[in-house]
Amino acid sequence: MPVDAEKEITRLWKALHSAQDEIGKTYYRWRQVAIEFAGDDVKPMDVALRAAEVFGKDIGKSILPRMNWLKGEEGFMMILARALAGLWINDGGNANVEQGESPGEIFIKCTRDPWPTWAKEFGVPMEEVAVCREKMYQSILEDVSVFMNIPLGIELQKAISRGQGETVMRLYKAE
Amino acid sequence: MAKTIFEWDYSDYPGAKSYPHLFKPIQIGNIIVPNRIKYTATEENLNGLDGFVTDQGVAYLRERAKGVVGGLCFMQGVYMDEARMGQGYVGQAAAWDDKFVPGLKRLAEAIHDGRAVAGIQLMDCGRVGAVDVEYGHGPSAVPQRLRIFREMREMSKDDIKEMIQQHVDAAKRGVEAGFDVMEISGIVGYLVSNFISSYTNRRADEYGGDIRGRMQAVVELIQGVRAVIPDDMPLGIRLCSEELLDDVRGNTPEESMESYKIAEEAGADYISCTLGWQESIYPVISRDIPMGNWIHLAKRAKEHVSIPISMAYRLFKPELPNEKIAAGELDIWEMCRPMIADPLMPKKVLEGREEEIRHCVACNLCLARLFRDAPMTCYINPICAHEANPEFADPPPAEEEKEIMIVGAGPAGLECAYVAAQRGHEVHVYDKRQEIGGTLNEARNAPYGDDELWTCVEYQKVMCEKAGVQFHLGTEVTEDLIEDEMPDSVVLATGPLYSKPEVSGADSDKVVYLLDVMAGKAETGERVVVWGNRKPGIGCALHLAKQGKKVTLVGRDKTAGFDVNPSFKWRYMIYMRQNGIVAYNDCEIVEVSDEGVVVETYDGYRWPISCDTIVIADRAPNENLKNAVQSEGIELFVVGDALIPRNLSSAVHDGYRIGMRI
Repeated sequence: MPVDAEKEITRLWKALHSAQDEIGKTYYRWRQVAIEFAGDDVKPMDVALRAAEVFGKDIGKSILPRMNWLKGEEGFMMILARALAGLWINDGGNANVEQGESPGEIFIKCTRDPWPTWAKEFGVPMEEVAVCREKMYQSILEDVSVFMNIPLGIELQKAISRGQGETVMRLYKAE
Repeated sequence: MAKTIFEWDYSDYPGAKSYPHLFKPIQIGNIIVPNRIKYTATEENLNGLDGFVTDQGVAYLRERAKGVVGGLCFMQGVYMDEARMGQGYVGQAAAWDDKFVPGLKRLAEAIHDGRAVAGIQLMDCGRVGAVDVEYGHGPSAVPQRLRIFREMREMSKDDIKEMIQQHVDAAKRGVEAGFDVMEISGIVGYLVSNFISSYTNRRADEYGGDIRGRMQAVVELIQGVRAVIPDDMPLGIRLCSEELLDDVRGNTPEESMESYKIAEEAGADYISCTLGWQESIYPVISRDIPMGNWIHLAKRAKEHVSIPISMAYRLFKPELPNEKIAAGELDIWEMCRPMIADPLMPKKVLEGREEEIRHCVACNLCLARLFRDAPMTCYINPICAHEANPEFADPPPAEEEKEIMIVGAGPAGLECAYVAAQRGHEVHVYDKRQEIGGTLNEARNAPYGDDELWTCVEYQKVMCEKAGVQFHLGTEVTEDLIEDEMPDSVVLATGPLYSKPEVSGADSDKVVYLLDVMAGKAETGERVVVWGNRKPGIGCALHLAKQGKKVTLVGRDKTAGFDVNPSFKWRYMIYMRQNGIVAYNDCEIVEVSDEGVVVETYDGYRWPISCDTIVIADRAPNENLKNAVQSEGIELFVVGDALIPRNLSSAVHDGYRIGMRI
């Protein structure tokens, strides 16, 4: 019996998008719970940043098995950058990496990010989306830096949620 | 004896002879209204965020008052509670305090300046309210079906009494402001309708239960307002004749008619017959609903009550209401959308100038803007909401009379042409086609009411003729022609270019263009891919699907119909589903082959689609002739789809703005 490729693939594609949609919604539903439990004296932004830290720590541990020094320092940094870009792609975004001008510098650029859309649906400020992404990635790098014994830093340079058209993170080797 | 507010004599007017029943008087309560025309209360979001009336709001209403030629003209519904739970629109006028009376007075005076009967409407938006506060109020705390509306809190009996008192106090302010007619809004999901409907009223006390119980608050409201307004001030109420909420166990039509009878018993002097709710899944006033579709509801209402019945709802032209009034099936022709599009519409009917009416195209953009906290504008009327700006509303004569060449006789070019000509320019419109209308010639062949879009061109044609625009049809403008004519200004209104995907196989014979397909000049196979998921692509896909083709829509935009206003877009999505059209959005065509096409998503997934024909509906700006004009040093403007492919509304608005400034 012939397989209808269009039908099969689009079923999968739509299921993928539904699953990706649930990622953001689940996160923000839990955010609401956390804020309610934290009470009125705690700022929602502080709750969100703490969550970003916890997420980042855990993701950082899961990245460690993929770290490979055999390709050299620059190769390792590129693998790391692609892993960070991949986090966006898993969620349904578009991201890629670009080598910076200096060897110890790589840019991760996200041109399509589903998180602001999910955030808006739950009434979450756009600035929170930006700073939490930065916090999460900084937390990811803590264990990676220690593990590889290379001081790494990451900073947010532009953010879609700030209306800047793309999100750009600069991954660098801190001297 | 009934009071006449303004005397009008229509006997010498051609429209009064053509439509005698529209222009005969009617007694409502204790006043005589000279004709059967009513501009119904319409939210426009032109008032201040604090509820005060603005110059814009006054100017907007002043034009409509002129239009009703002595009939009824209502200001928008006012909200009446300081807590703003009744406020449904950010720019809704307020009447919860005496400080608002001077503004209301301005509106009453503006209506009277037009020698029309001034009406004020009391409108607590209930379930659709609380636009800027945390929660709204209603008879029961039924969760919202539509997420854009606030959560509801159940009103206590004291809350209900307070609400009634708020209506009474606002009514007094309306009287003080000088209005002649009072009206209560009980429609589409506003508070009064929330009490009446079994969907939203689950109370077990005297304000709930059967239809009589659910009408109790309304009865007290009518009686309360009645008691504080003068005897010669009629009190009307807008009530749903059919809620169209069967899927959520709303009222039956019989219950709705019972509510009409109860309202009459309570003291209402007339009823405005409405239908549908914002939460209803059934469309009511969009273009896909044929004109006159609902008029039978007025007849049914007339069979249940003896007081006058007014009705709007897709009654855009005078013939049907005139006929129904003659038959005793309707008493007053109400209008909202038609007079947003053309405030002087009834006046033009009276004066025998129907060909000069700019008809509403039932796109519901006006509604979409209200629900998104924007001032109302009109898809087809560039002046709407700009009536207070003289430059817009009545463009001054040109400082320097120019000879203007307009290339393209589509809606953008035509709009620019007549406005520029009215201002004193010598205007020549060129088009390589033998007929005017541009791509609307093809667009109007799309199903579900798109033929009504053609009324735009019909209006523009008349206006061009009256303004002395000169047409050169069947003439293609070339560089040589521009050089020969050397006009002072050129307006390029040439429409878009239809662009093929730049992929292998795109030059295949199976690739055809949308305009040819819609004009019936290109054949398609049984399986068609339409490339381009904006409105033109959707219209074409539906057109082909109606012929029994298997249609797939592919396009770059994240959603199909990105350019269609949300209040109409949902209709297209339903029709696409009903017609079996599959849409792949956020996608590109990356290959064309004998078997079909390969589609790739934004996130890199690919699959094949079998098809016989690919229709190009994707558009690009038209840069042709720009260089030729600029190289001659001629002043250049580009309008409509030639500038950026958008929609009919953008074409009309672009054309108007350039015409008034050139």
